[in-house]
Amino acid sequence: MNIKSIVAAVAVATMSVTSLAACGSSDKQSSEKPDMLSVWTYEPTTSAQYQAWKKSADKFTQDTGIKVKFETKSFTQIAQNSSQFLDSDQAPDVMESNRGNGSAGMLASMSLLTDLSPYVDKYGWDKKVTKADSSMARYTDKGVMNGDTWYGVPSYAEFQRVYYNKDMFAKYGIQIPKTLDEFEEACQKFKAAGVTPIDADAGEYGVMWLWWQLISTKADNKFMDAWQMYKQPVDWKGEAFTFATNKINEWLEKGYISRTATGLKAEDTNSSFIKGDFPIYQTGTWNQSRFITQIKTFDWESHILPGSKMAQGCTGNLLVIPEKSKHKDWSAQLLNNVLSEDIQTGIAEEGGIPVVANVKSVKNDKNKAMIEEYSTFSKKNALSYYPDYPASNLTDAIPAALQELVNGTKKPSDVEAQIQKAYTDGVKDMDVKN
Amino acid sequence: MSQATMQAPTSQAADAEASRSRKTNKSQHIRTWADWMTLVLLIVGALIMLFPLIILAMNAFKTIADYNATGPLTLPAHPTMRGIESFWKSSNFPLKFLNSFVISLVVAVLGVLLSVLNSFALGIGRVKGNRWIILLIMLANMMPQEALLYPLYTMFKEAGIYNTQLSIIIIFTVVQSAYGTYLLSAVYSTFPQAILEAATIDGATRWQTLIKVVLPISWSTISVLFVFFFVWTWNEYMIPMAFLMDDSVQTVPLALSALQGQHTIDATQLAAASLLSIIPTIIFYIIFQRKLNQGIVAGAVK
Repeated sequence: MNIKSIVAAVAVATMSVTSLAACGSSDKQSSEKPDMLSVWTYEPTTSAQYQAWKKSADKFTQDTGIKVKFETKSFTQIAQNSSQFLDSDQAPDVMESNRGNGSAGMLASMSLLTDLSPYVDKYGWDKKVTKADSSMARYTDKGVMNGDTWYGVPSYAEFQRVYYNKDMFAKYGIQIPKTLDEFEEACQKFKAAGVTPIDADAGEYGVMWLWWQLISTKADNKFMDAWQMYKQPVDWKGEAFTFATNKINEWLEKGYISRTATGLKAEDTNSSFIKGDFPIYQTGTWNQSRFITQIKTFDWESHILPGSKMAQGCTGNLLVIPEKSKHKDWSAQLLNNVLSEDIQTGIAEEGGIPVVANVKSVKNDKNKAMIEEYSTFSKKNALSYYPDYPASNLTDAIPAALQELVNGTKKPSDVEAQIQKAYTDGVKDMDVKN
Repeated sequence: MSQATMQAPTSQAADAEASRSRKTNKSQHIRTWADWMTLVLLIVGALIMLFPLIILAMNAFKTIADYNATGPLTLPAHPTMRGIESFWKSSNFPLKFLNSFVISLVVAVLGVLLSVLNSFALGIGRVKGNRWIILLIMLANMMPQEALLYPLYTMFKEAGIYNTQLSIIIIFTVVQSAYGTYLLSAVYSTFPQAILEAATIDGATRWQTLIKVVLPISWSTISVLFVFFFVWTWNEYMIPMAFLMDDSVQTVPLALSALQGQHTIDATQLAAASLLSIIPTIIFYIIFQRKLNQGIVAGAVK
């Protein structure tokens, strides 16, 4: 008898806990003014873009009286489970989504994201964010980027740059390189002096970014259209593709990149560069504000890898409105704030790259140089995005293949074949090819 | 019958004598080199086990500048509580803690209850085909969790309990009790028939047999199950991540994972948060440690 009553008590208790949580779901679009909009993001709360979103929300609350509630989720949770919660009545009003065919594109093709066309016309977003900068916001009905329909609003951009420890260059009497040959010469000199020049990790994406940047020194728009948008078959035997793999292999053999890179992660390389252990480090501009605040012991400068025809990067993660959001008009108004001149200037000041051109002058010289460098590439439509955008399996498959190269367990040609196979299979699974 | 019951105390007495003689041996302080080797190996083993915890504790109190300058393997130069403080606030830790605690506790209680009832039927009641039933139940445990996600998602969404703690409680009560049933019914199938028969002759109903005879004797095994169910559920990550989206229902491991950005990670804060999140399980272990030892020993003797 006792046990029965305990069971009953526990059952009642759990039911009451959950029924409280379960109510609160109402239906469809409500035209009434809500009290609050919910926004789910995964950006670190200290980043320039998160600060910018907060400020846009404050302004939105001032204008409309509607509160905005931010919730921070893990990147994995949004990346893996968004197709599920977006299809339930628990969807937020605004969400941060990773850009690219495998993420935002896929959600759009599953009709889980709101078609933003009416708002693009209303607010003129296409006049503010132009050319290559908006390619990540637009998708085809199959979810391929650079399509015609806007599904998200970008608020910042990022790309890969090489960061140079100027003190180390000065110490060994080496010039900051201006061409790829000079770059290799500098590596050679550091190596001769007993310093491993390039800080890179193969445990995550470091070597992959280096590899894609090397491809970006040879590739043209035709190669990128083939790779990213499946417009024609990828040229697997062409110079762009084979050059990069062989170059990375050469650098490994000459000791420019340490073979121990295979056990490192991005955070290891970040902190060893900050510590001053390496003269050369290629990483994303999301690290720039961290370098500005945390590097105290040496002077540094940064440029895109010399000889690059294209910049690896694009506009950053999107803010999207889920199809099941109940307050789309209000949400769109909130998104519009993100593109306002004030907010965009704020992003620039905080060490981010704004997406709306012609922001007011930026005080920090290093940030100014970064923003100018990005716009020289984006204005020419010369962005190579990231190599893993065409299919979702590539995010793991390309680093895995390159790790074998770093380990020395596979020849460059075998690594190329492995990547080709992963790409072909992945794209086939995506079912996006026309 | 009565012979069998009489035998139990005698064998206990013999056990006690044996352990007494072992004790007197120890008190003579004669240690062979093998004893010393064992001691050294145990100390080395303990240090290896503690190493990650020590690293965690060292980094939890470091400033980020300190971490950048000296890496993870040094003592903090300027100990700070900032990492813990900021995680406490940003994640609303008390709420996450409460969620984890309620979910783990309810699962542990319900899981144990189900395990006991199942095993009583399967192990002692000797239901026909009990092996197959146990195998079937074990499937819940053997299936990769990834395979469960989508069907469960669809069901819970239909039932209106997606994104609630109840969904997690149901899933883990079933998963944990599957393991519990497997373990406990094996223990119960070796339960001395004599004792059960004695109880029946004394006129005990099935309920009374369960509560007054079986439960007290298997109490230590049950408490081990309880502790394990609690700790396992506490540490669960993948299923809660798939089913708990809202901040108000999320658990501690999910709050931890939210610290890791797409490309960025605040190493010292993550260390601080991890330290904070394992403290409850450590406390739980310490409280139940005695029971745990007894239970493991009880299992071993059988």
